[in-house]
Amino acid sequence: MAEKMFLPVSLLDRWTQENDELTVKCKQERQNALCPDQNHTGLRWCSSEFHKLARKIQGTPPHADYAQLELSVVYNVCMCFVSQSQFTEAELLLKQAIERVQQMTEGDSRMSVPVQLWRSALKYVENTALYPFVLRLLCVQWAIWLANCQFKTMKEFQKEISSLLETLNQEKESLNQEKEKSSNVPKLVMDPRRLVELLQISTAIAEGAEKLNEGQGSEVLPVLREASDMPAPRALISYTHLLSGSCLAHMNRPQMALQCYRQALETDSRCVCALYQSTLVYRQLGNTQAEIQALRILHSTLLLPSTAEPSVTGIHLSPSLLLRSQSLSSLLSVPSALSVLHSLALKCVLYGRVSEGVQHYLDLLAALHSEDQQGVYADVSTLPKLPKLYLEAGTALLMAQQPTDCMALCSEVISTTLELLPDRVVLEEPEESGGAETEDEGDEGQDRVAVVLWVAAAYLLQAHCYTHTREWKQAVTHYTRCINLLVKVLFKKKVTCFQPQSLSPHTDVKWGMEQWIVQRLKGLSLAGRGISFTQMDHMKEALRDLQLSSQVLPEGVGAGLWCGEVLWKLGRRHEAAACWKKTWSLPKQSLPENLPLYVREEQWSPTLDSTELRHKIQELDPL
Amino acid sequence: MYLCLWTLFTHYLPFSLVIMERRCVVETWTDLGFLGKACTPKVKFGAGTFVFICTGSDEVFVFSAHEKRLTASNSFRLQAVLRFPGPVRDVAESHDEQLLFVASRSGVYCVSLQSLLHSSSDDASCGPAELNISSESLVARADGVLTLLLVGSLLLTLCRTDTSWLLTLYKRTQSSACEVLGSFGLPLVSPALQSAGSKTGPARGPVLTCVHPAGDATPSSPTPSAGAGLCLEPLLFKLLFGVEAALAGSPVVLCGLPDGRLCFLPLRVPGPRLRVLHSLEQPLVFVGASVVRETSAGHAQCLVAVGEEGRVVLIRGDGGGAEGGGCSAAAFTEVHVSGPVLCGTADRNCLYYSTGADLCCLNLSDGLLGREEKSKGGEASGMMSNVAPLSPSSLNVSQVTDLAEPLCSDAGEVQLLGLSSRGQLQRISLPVRREDEGCSRHSSSQIGRSVKDLLSAIGDVHERASALEATIKSKNQILRQLNHALNISFLLTAADDAEEHRLPKEESIRCHAVASWGRLLQKDSLILTCVLDNSSPYSLDRGWTLCLAVCPLSSSSTATEETSSTNFSFPFHSLGPGETLEVSLPAAAAGQASFPLTVSCSLVFSLSDLLGEGRAASPSGSESRSLSFPLDTLTVDWLHVLQLTAPPAPSQSSGRAVDGVRAFLSSRRVRRSRAVDSGGQPERYSASLRVASELLKDTVQPKGLRPDTKGPEPDPQSLGLSLLHWLLSERCGGVKASPGGEKVDIGSTVVHARAPNGAAVKLTAKEINAQEESVGKEETVAHVEVQIESSSMAALCGLHHAVLRRTQTLLQMAPVRPASTKGIQMLGLRRVMQHAEIQQSRVSEAFSAGMSSGQTNQFLLSVYRELRQNSLLVI
Repeated sequence: MAEKMFLPVSLLDRWTQENDELTVKCKQERQNALCPDQNHTGLRWCSSEFHKLARKIQGTPPHADYAQLELSVVYNVCMCFVSQSQFTEAELLLKQAIERVQQMTEGDSRMSVPVQLWRSALKYVENTALYPFVLRLLCVQWAIWLANCQFKTMKEFQKEISSLLETLNQEKESLNQEKEKSSNVPKLVMDPRRLVELLQISTAIAEGAEKLNEGQGSEVLPVLREASDMPAPRALISYTHLLSGSCLAHMNRPQMALQCYRQALETDSRCVCALYQSTLVYRQLGNTQAEIQALRILHSTLLLPSTAEPSVTGIHLSPSLLLRSQSLSSLLSVPSALSVLHSLALKCVLYGRVSEGVQHYLDLLAALHSEDQQGVYADVSTLPKLPKLYLEAGTALLMAQQPTDCMALCSEVISTTLELLPDRVVLEEPEESGGAETEDEGDEGQDRVAVVLWVAAAYLLQAHCYTHTREWKQAVTHYTRCINLLVKVLFKKKVTCFQPQSLSPHTDVKWGMEQWIVQRLKGLSLAGRGISFTQMDHMKEALRDLQLSSQVLPEGVGAGLWCGEVLWKLGRRHEAAACWKKTWSLPKQSLPENLPLYVREEQWSPTLDSTELRHKIQELDPL
Repeated sequence: MYLCLWTLFTHYLPFSLVIMERRCVVETWTDLGFLGKACTPKVKFGAGTFVFICTGSDEVFVFSAHEKRLTASNSFRLQAVLRFPGPVRDVAESHDEQLLFVASRSGVYCVSLQSLLHSSSDDASCGPAELNISSESLVARADGVLTLLLVGSLLLTLCRTDTSWLLTLYKRTQSSACEVLGSFGLPLVSPALQSAGSKTGPARGPVLTCVHPAGDATPSSPTPSAGAGLCLEPLLFKLLFGVEAALAGSPVVLCGLPDGRLCFLPLRVPGPRLRVLHSLEQPLVFVGASVVRETSAGHAQCLVAVGEEGRVVLIRGDGGGAEGGGCSAAAFTEVHVSGPVLCGTADRNCLYYSTGADLCCLNLSDGLLGREEKSKGGEASGMMSNVAPLSPSSLNVSQVTDLAEPLCSDAGEVQLLGLSSRGQLQRISLPVRREDEGCSRHSSSQIGRSVKDLLSAIGDVHERASALEATIKSKNQILRQLNHALNISFLLTAADDAEEHRLPKEESIRCHAVASWGRLLQKDSLILTCVLDNSSPYSLDRGWTLCLAVCPLSSSSTATEETSSTNFSFPFHSLGPGETLEVSLPAAAAGQASFPLTVSCSLVFSLSDLLGEGRAASPSGSESRSLSFPLDTLTVDWLHVLQLTAPPAPSQSSGRAVDGVRAFLSSRRVRRSRAVDSGGQPERYSASLRVASELLKDTVQPKGLRPDTKGPEPDPQSLGLSLLHWLLSERCGGVKASPGGEKVDIGSTVVHARAPNGAAVKLTAKEINAQEESVGKEETVAHVEVQIESSSMAALCGLHHAVLRRTQTLLQMAPVRPASTKGIQMLGLRRVMQHAEIQQSRVSEAFSAGMSSGQTNQFLLSVYRELRQNSLLVI
């Protein structure tokens, strides 16, 4: 009490007043701020002012009388720092404050490990007036640990935290009563109770994500259920639902997972990750129409401007600040709007909504060429390479009977890539030990192959366009260009593997995929040229090309039918009939979805009526 | 006088010396005092008239010039001094000249230049404004921003963290704060290399530049001001930054790091990655681009990176590979200059760099000259060609530590703004590069290309010239032909008058014909072979046509029977002087035509033929385009068309002599013979003509038998013979009978022939002495009587007419003689006249009497016969 004389009361009051003013200002700033960025500057100013105040207070030797004020100011500063994600500064300040508390209470302040420091400090201040103040600081520390994903430390403090929560609540009650009595209690930027609530649910979410990542989804479910009932911001509650859904999806209960995702969306309409996860579930279920619908909603939601969350008085800690664990962010990650748009467009085209798909493709290209691009800089992009995108869009346009637009897109691809065409490309089977050091070279090699394939596909599409407009001569020219390019690609296979390897896209190797694409392009262009020759009455050339096409791509239906047609016209009727029959007996092959749109066989060329052909066969062979 | 000249010389001498020297001029504009050592000092041009200088301390000096050209130092004024909380690392001005972004401690600050201008203009008298910039104007919070770049609405900062380089993208918003779009990290290579760089002087900061693909909407000047970016040639762009960036037309951020790595980041490509393009293995000082080779658009074709120790890497798109059809690759050419290089900048052709001791200029097109071939060998991008020293030229300016972008005037004058280590801002004006200097420094490929261009230009000109030449030639040709045609037409019109003026016939164009019988289409027909004889000195070229109109003489006068006229035209290409053109035409079939025929020859000149086929197509006035010149008019008479036959076979008549006698008798007594003929034989008609022997001797008889030769008296028989010969074979009226086999036949004075209408005809020529004739005592003149006999009246008339015509020409041919025997025939003439009058009166009497047609015919025939029977002698 004697020391109190040294310190003028007016100074204590002045500091308290300053703290209160700053707190009010901080809350006002928060309320006035229209967008989070503006808030940022105000917050920065506040935190620097608070920091100055704290340093002023800490300039005096530690004393119990103004320890309450000091700890309150430190709480305010740390909250400001944390909300600006300046965790190291906050942690340093916390440590200093705790050390000063220990000096005050003559404890051992030279412990370097923060856990021990906190334990001893709590032990010393227990049953003193300072206890709730120190507890508040512990909450801040908890937030920092959570943000830094120090789950281990948090686990060590599990017991303390859970017990402290109750005491804090009780203390709170009494403090509030006290506050009403004396106005001397310094104001705080954020209600500690809110902070604790936030921390509880955030911890549940973060730990749940961590466990889910470790494959212990079933254990997490009850915890998440419990957490979803806690009072917390909507975003966090929707996260609990989302996580439950993910757990259920992992447990192979997709319908229940969908329910959870729906709940998450109902809780927080901006929870796009729930939408995204549900598209994944729909895809897994094979419900294409629902997937397309979900993708469309997801895209439009992603395009919405991010609205500021309902403002809360005081410092706001956004969930993203506290939930920074790798496993959670991978769960919460959503592809960029452009990627979503692309998969939407692709799905539409693949599943019969061509005009819709074309519109989406055009939107996508327009977005890619606009100055203002959201989401381009997203870390992960599932968008295919731009030329491939152009070609896909061109294919969609051709499917939608717009050959001139398709031509324009293709010629842009050709004009950009033509100068980069290599003389010849060797497509080599990748080595098993393809390490990181050869990645760049491999990348370059793949690029060279890709360039050839792009240009070849562009020529093929252009030729299809000419077929569409019945300009057979031009079509032949472009098919020939495509074939000439494809001839440049050489396959090089390892001699060591002797087992016969069927060409199938299902072998997951990219190499196999490319080889397959080359074969398909070759087959399709040969077939197209053959059909064009047929239209020009060059039957000999037509027969040659169509037969070659059937060799390269035995499953090509158009080539087989037209080959028969040419044979029929040449008077080799029995051969023709055999050819048709063989073609009809071909098994329907389902094409994988990752096969580029432009190497799928569509009805570009004039079609042959199957019933008519059967009729012909019957005439020939009346038996 | 001398004095005057001398002063003139001395007056102009210094001027010429200045031109010769070509030194660069250095003007010190302002002195900022000693430069801070903490950071690299920087001088930058703003987009407008501002110049920003950061000296490495906490201050940024903002100068403004009245105009961009930096003409004089007094137009250059310190506008403001901005004081920042920490040392200033870099400055960048936004393109709209509104905002200045400054990298200092704890982030990027943004200062409105507009407010600066206003505040300083208010107190222009009291010097520059001093402004303390607080953290309120902090727009992007980041520790240790080393350099920054503005690309459109993007702000890029580069910082160094403990483990990596961090390139952060911000989006400038309406409010002052920037929104983070993303950041890209590149791990540090090794700390050792970093510390090595900082041994000498202040730590070198990284370099950021923006590159646009050519053809973008962004300004395409090769050295744009204030970070607007460089425009790179499309091929090089594609090769360096990939197809995707090119397809998206994306700007690419180039980042030169102090560890020597040159990285790039395409901005608009989805999922971009910061990738290493090349490593110089020494701190990068400057990254820029240069045009090097002139292209139409003036896009930069060469990317230049300069390292601190003097390594200069030139990156070009290798055009040679693309021509060969193979994969083209970027060619990296490495050049060494003597270091250390403190700063650098580049303009269209040159790289300017300062070593501290000297400012040097390196001509980049020089540097590429020798390496063209070597770099072609590289098959993969990144292939390094041989390192060769280059000879940079010294500009003799020392202590330059930073350079702003060069300003190039249209005249080729280059101005550099440099900051010296003593803190002086200097304007360095480079000498104007001579044109020939520039020309001589073209690289071989440039020369090859320009030679190609020249050759193709020559080819073009040649093509056009040859086309013009051809038209001129054809026009000349046409003019020549027209001239010819005019000459010919003059000649031909003159030939019309030639009849009167007796011009020499040799010098004109004539037409004559030969009539002969041939079988055509199983019919005997008369074939007229017309010969156009060009004896004029002119040649008849294209455009001329020989036109022949064949019509019977009898009907030519009557307009009603035009159908009987047949026209033939023979266009010909060229008929030189002395040449002849022979054309054959079927004049008439036997028994169809009525003789004599008139053949009117004319030459027609057609303009449309001359001008070409295309213009002749106009249907209207095709006649008006041709000029017609009448040539000779030929007459084919009965004599021409006689077919000589053998005399009647002896079996049919008693003998030649008897026949002759009978013929003689019948000819003498027509009436009697007529009476005889009426008995059964067809009636024979005859007519005769008497021609004086004198006349014949002069004309018809061959020269050798002329009486002038004083030889023996010619055979009286021969005179008749030669007359017959002449009648049958000589040319008359331009037409000649085909010689055929008649020479064989004309052995006697009696000729049998077949007329075209099939009638047999007999011609007899008999020399008669006047003594024998008992008609009149006065008539002592010897003469030849030609007697024509035929059973056909038409043949007789025709032949008679023909013989008369011949005789007329005979008379014309005969030389004029003294009319010794003028009075001889007076009696005969009188008698004939009297006889004719009697006949005349009888005819008129007969017509008036109103006889029947048959009677009239008989009567007229008898009159005709009597008229034919006149005994007048043609002298």
